[in-house]
Amino acid sequence: MQDKSVSYAELAPGYELPSATYELSEALVSKYLRAVDGSGDGFVPPLAITACAIAAMARSLSLPPDTVAIHASQDLEFLKLVPIGATVECRIKVAQKIERGRMSMLIMELEILDRGGERVQTGKATIALPS
Amino acid sequence: MLTEIEEGMTLGPVAKHITQETINLYAEASGDFNPIHVDEAFAAKTPFGGTIAHGMLNLAYVSEMMTSAFGENWLSGGKLRAKFKESARPGDSLSVSAEVISLEKRDGVSYANCSFECRNQKGEIIVAGETTAKFAGDKE
Repeated sequence: MQDKSVSYAELAPGYELPSATYELSEALVSKYLRAVDGSGDGFVPPLAITACAIAAMARSLSLPPDTVAIHASQDLEFLKLVPIGATVECRIKVAQKIERGRMSMLIMELEILDRGGERVQTGKATIALPS
Repeated sequence: MLTEIEEGMTLGPVAKHITQETINLYAEASGDFNPIHVDEAFAAKTPFGGTIAHGMLNLAYVSEMMTSAFGENWLSGGKLRAKFKESARPGDSLSVSAEVISLEKRDGVSYANCSFECRNQKGEIIVAGETTAKFAGDKE
């Protein structure tokens, strides 16, 4: 995946960011659990998968200089257990782009699939961009 | 994991302390190095006046609470809707709790609908929202 490949101005509803693939290795899960002070149960914590998707989204967007992007809301649905060591693909597209006065809002749809093409997680993130 | 779910019962609390080290660890684990989280000099010049924790870090604590209560039924079949209302900052102590608002049965499967909140040590709501999880029950 290319970093900072899409400028904010280019984003329009329906635009799909470059997909990102992650191997959810034991090392990655351990690092995540240490960061969130959590304990493992043999599966990848669903929020660890979401975190990868959100980070992929952040890396794909080139925002105006000095813009502070704020995560305003998050909807998620966990559809399938994901074993440690699985590889997932994150697909993200622009659902809405709202310009309201000095505030811009991006609503992004997330879809995460396993190697078999089955959805393991879906969601919607709202990112606020105060100007 | 809870063996019995009833309306009105409370989940949690899950208590966590946020430090800059916690935030840095989360940035490394997630790959999200937005400077508002990890660059203290940059963050000091923003309206936040300093670094803030990733919203997804706060949400991870909600998921931990739900996993403790519902186990694999949360990991596969769980739903959440969250609004990030305030920012958690280094030095904050967070407490996450939830209440089972209603139980329902759809297509033979029982679901618990919960409302949750994550508050800091001042009582300010950092994240709030709703969750739904399957459970083994016989409520109509």
